[in-house]
Amino acid sequence: MSTRVLTEFDLLLPASLEEALDMLERERSAVTVLSGGTDLLVAMKAGFKTAKAMSLAHLRNLDFLAYDSGSGLRMGPRTTIAQIVDSADVKQHYPALWQAAKIFATPQLRNTATVVGNLLRGSPAGDCSAAVSALGGTLVMASAQGRREVHVDNLWVSYGVTARADNEMAVELRIPAPTKGTVSAFRRLTRVNEDLAKLNVAACLQLDGSTCTGARLAMGCVAPTMIRLPSAEAVLTGATINDDTLALAAEAVQQDISPIDDQRSTAEYRRAVAGVYLKRTVQQACGIA
Amino acid sequence: MGELKTVGKSIERVDIRAKVCGTAVYAADIKFPGMLHGKVVRCYEHAHARVKRLDLSAAAKVPGVIKVLGPKDVTTKKYNQSVIDLMASKTEGQMLGDIEEQSIFTEHVKFYGDGIAGIIAISEEVAERAAQLVKVEYEPLPVYLTPEESGAPDAVQFTPEKPGNRAFQLPEAMFPGNALGWGDVDKAFEEADLVIEDTFYTPKQKQCQMEPNSYVALFDDEGRLNCWTSGQMPKLVHEKLSRLFELPMSRVKINQTVVGGGFGARLGMVLEPEVCAMALAVPGKPVKIQQPREEDWLTSPSRHPSRYWMKIGFKKDGTPVAIDAKSVNFKGGYYLDGSALASTTGFWLQGMYKFQNLRYKGESYFTNQPVCGAFRGYGNPQTNFVLEQMIERACVELNLDPLQWRRKWHKETGDLSWLNATPYTSCALNECLDRGAAAIGWEEKRKKYANQTGTKRRGIGVAVGNHTSGAFPMILEHTTCTVHLNEDASATVLVACSDLGQGSHTTLRQIAAETLGWPIEDVRLETGDSDANGFDIGAHASRTLYVGGAAVMKACQDARGQLLDRAARILKVNRDELDMDNKTIYVEGSPERSVSARDICRVGIYNFVDHATGLPEGEMGQIQAYVSYKPEQNSPPFFATFVELEVDLETGEVELLELVSSHDIGKAIHPAICEGQMEGGAQQGLGMALTEETYFNEKGFATNNSFTDYKMLGASDMPRMTSILVENGDPYGPFGAKSVGEAGVVTPVGATANAIFQATGIQFTQGPITPEKILRAIRERGQTYV
Repeated sequence: MSTRVLTEFDLLLPASLEEALDMLERERSAVTVLSGGTDLLVAMKAGFKTAKAMSLAHLRNLDFLAYDSGSGLRMGPRTTIAQIVDSADVKQHYPALWQAAKIFATPQLRNTATVVGNLLRGSPAGDCSAAVSALGGTLVMASAQGRREVHVDNLWVSYGVTARADNEMAVELRIPAPTKGTVSAFRRLTRVNEDLAKLNVAACLQLDGSTCTGARLAMGCVAPTMIRLPSAEAVLTGATINDDTLALAAEAVQQDISPIDDQRSTAEYRRAVAGVYLKRTVQQACGIA
Repeated sequence: MGELKTVGKSIERVDIRAKVCGTAVYAADIKFPGMLHGKVVRCYEHAHARVKRLDLSAAAKVPGVIKVLGPKDVTTKKYNQSVIDLMASKTEGQMLGDIEEQSIFTEHVKFYGDGIAGIIAISEEVAERAAQLVKVEYEPLPVYLTPEESGAPDAVQFTPEKPGNRAFQLPEAMFPGNALGWGDVDKAFEEADLVIEDTFYTPKQKQCQMEPNSYVALFDDEGRLNCWTSGQMPKLVHEKLSRLFELPMSRVKINQTVVGGGFGARLGMVLEPEVCAMALAVPGKPVKIQQPREEDWLTSPSRHPSRYWMKIGFKKDGTPVAIDAKSVNFKGGYYLDGSALASTTGFWLQGMYKFQNLRYKGESYFTNQPVCGAFRGYGNPQTNFVLEQMIERACVELNLDPLQWRRKWHKETGDLSWLNATPYTSCALNECLDRGAAAIGWEEKRKKYANQTGTKRRGIGVAVGNHTSGAFPMILEHTTCTVHLNEDASATVLVACSDLGQGSHTTLRQIAAETLGWPIEDVRLETGDSDANGFDIGAHASRTLYVGGAAVMKACQDARGQLLDRAARILKVNRDELDMDNKTIYVEGSPERSVSARDICRVGIYNFVDHATGLPEGEMGQIQAYVSYKPEQNSPPFFATFVELEVDLETGEVELLELVSSHDIGKAIHPAICEGQMEGGAQQGLGMALTEETYFNEKGFATNNSFTDYKMLGASDMPRMTSILVENGDPYGPFGAKSVGEAGVVTPVGATANAIFQATGIQFTQGPITPEKILRAIRERGQTYV
């Protein structure tokens, strides 16, 4: 049961990254990192307890968003969904991410929610998580000890649990630059338009003419974490994209997913539409009407 | 009355600036010095249990807690939070079996969230923390989520007054055979060419009014109980609180705050008993209860879920020979207006088509769910979902045009309406159907969509309905209105009618201004004060404009008459020779012979003696008019809705394309407000058809009592909408107006289901019609469409 009264917690407001990393080093699991707050505050009202919340609000220069045709896209932990929607570079070079951001939640939430926060929430339903998974992003984790990179394939451990160590903070998200023939797309199913996904899909394909030379497919709400779809990827890789291969890929998805019944939909329904949505997403990426 | 100056115009709503600018004062905005905060301790461990032991000691010790209240620390008088029992005579109430079985804090938990104790503290935070320290030992009881379970012979009884947990059935004394209707249904089925039957489920839809519930109460130094509430029915709540706390009505004061939506959720009382009980425990200190949305969901009534069986018979030519129906409602934990809903659900059925034989049975059974009560439409959307789908199926079977069938067989002006009590006073349903069909392109689309291929299929559906304007003659109808003319010839109109956001304070002012013949700026409405206002039932049954508006009109006619009488005496003519233009009263044909309304009003109040003559300067007395009004009709509005949509056969998703509603409203007092009611109603009707349902797990815990998981359609989900106002005037309504408040929700329900039927060839009997249900049905028919 939700409450109008937040439980008591200490709000930590580091003024620099160094201070933030020191706090994390000291407090470890006692602290929850608060970026946009759109998940954390709702969870706290529903009973989630944290002794300390470390807000990134006073940290400067963490809301950057930069694209370079060689090194790709870089964004900070404070970069909002709204910034993604406003970016012509993202729209042009990372359609999957832009499409996910465009329909993400509501305008108010897009103004404060962050892409990195979406990833680190570890929800299997995250729309931007699906896009970043297909696009093959890498998070840069910083701690008092130094930095390391965590590829999105290794990020989600189990429901709500990520590879972030409790003294670490994500300081950057990198997404590789597309090359000639890289296409991507995102689609989702919801109960109403402004909603959490009951199933979402992102696809990033490398095309050589109509031949797929590489595929990264991600699907949400069909497993405890956002997942890749290895069986479907195997079907598409090296194949010509046409109705037959798409039908095979749609069928192969069944081996990759393990959906459950929950508040938003049923396992039966998710199984029934997973292939359809994968097919449509690939078609959208490839520009097939 | 000549050309209308104010009525019929979409003037700026009187409440809109304050609401848009955020200055409107809702109950949650009310703060008093020294105000305390109340928290109802609720049971979230069980949906059905007895409280074996309640230990409030730890909660009482929390610093800042003023008082803890168990069931015996407040009045143990039983009550019924609804008000329907006040609206029937004692004899009728006994026949119907209305009961009072609720306690402020219960020892028999009947639903997830039932209130068991109260905390009063210096802050909301302290109250909340203390509530978490309340220790309770429960005896769990079996959880009943359906009438079948609670009605089983060995089920635990909710109340000894209702054996078998049957809260209500149509009483034998009023409805022989526990059924309403006419003719010989069984015989008629034998002679019918086509008989179809099915059982439907209609969902537990929540009103989702924008303002969450908040209440303030103060037992003041004069020994008066004051309550600030956003209830829809302040005067009936006045009486209810007076009874419950055994105080004369002169010692109970209701202050109605700005109401942020009601839709029936605030019909009667919600937390007024709890907040007043708390205030009585701490005399002299105001107490406020403010609830989060999730708690509102559980503590204010929702629409009744129902299992609704129907059988209908036709001749080959479409002649409707018989209809037999039974709705079994899920009552929730308490009785509330148990007698009314199961009855009206049948009244709407009875009032729509010219079936030669009809039988309807209505029942309600207690269930371990949050209470059910009034919700816009009051059984009508349920009947629409069922009846309109059954009619559609029959039209397909008989190869009849569904629009033409409805045109031919709906009841008309002069036919007996619901309860068979009064004839319909006016009916322009054919015009509604014709104009709606033309606006959406019915003929062309209906044909075009009959044969489709591909994975996306379109459908267009129609449904018709009628509703009521007020509750006459079934239950109490009454509004009083007092008008004072001020010394500057402006008017104060005292009337207790509620504006829940539907715009009634604007339309009532329009009626007053039009009747008086003055600009709307010169008319002030005084509402929401139980001391100042005389009796009015409150907002329900789409009555406010029709009954309240007529009361205002009659009182204003009287005031205007008194004013003209005085002018006639001054001008030495008969009253009927006079006319009034703004504030000047003149002799028709001789405008130079005139007198100022202001002068008459002023001298009536500032009545000095003329020293030259020794006589008063004019006629003494402030002009006041009063009416205690009871309508003699209920002028039902008729209406039709057309819905066009597209179903994705691969995913079961429904995309709403267009909705056209046309309403025979008699006369639009404020066209934009009428359209707003129709569009808002459509949003709720479409939601009931497609997405809205409160779900429970096997323990009886609500699993989606918040906007996270209870999905209403948002602006971007809505189709393109057209609202057509058919204005032919009703002989009884004020300025010819009939109601529009509830009607909008009704027909989008049936029209949506019928559009899905055309698109998929499948009828869905279990609401809401979700993509999950659609896709399963398609797959069960062996069509995968992939």
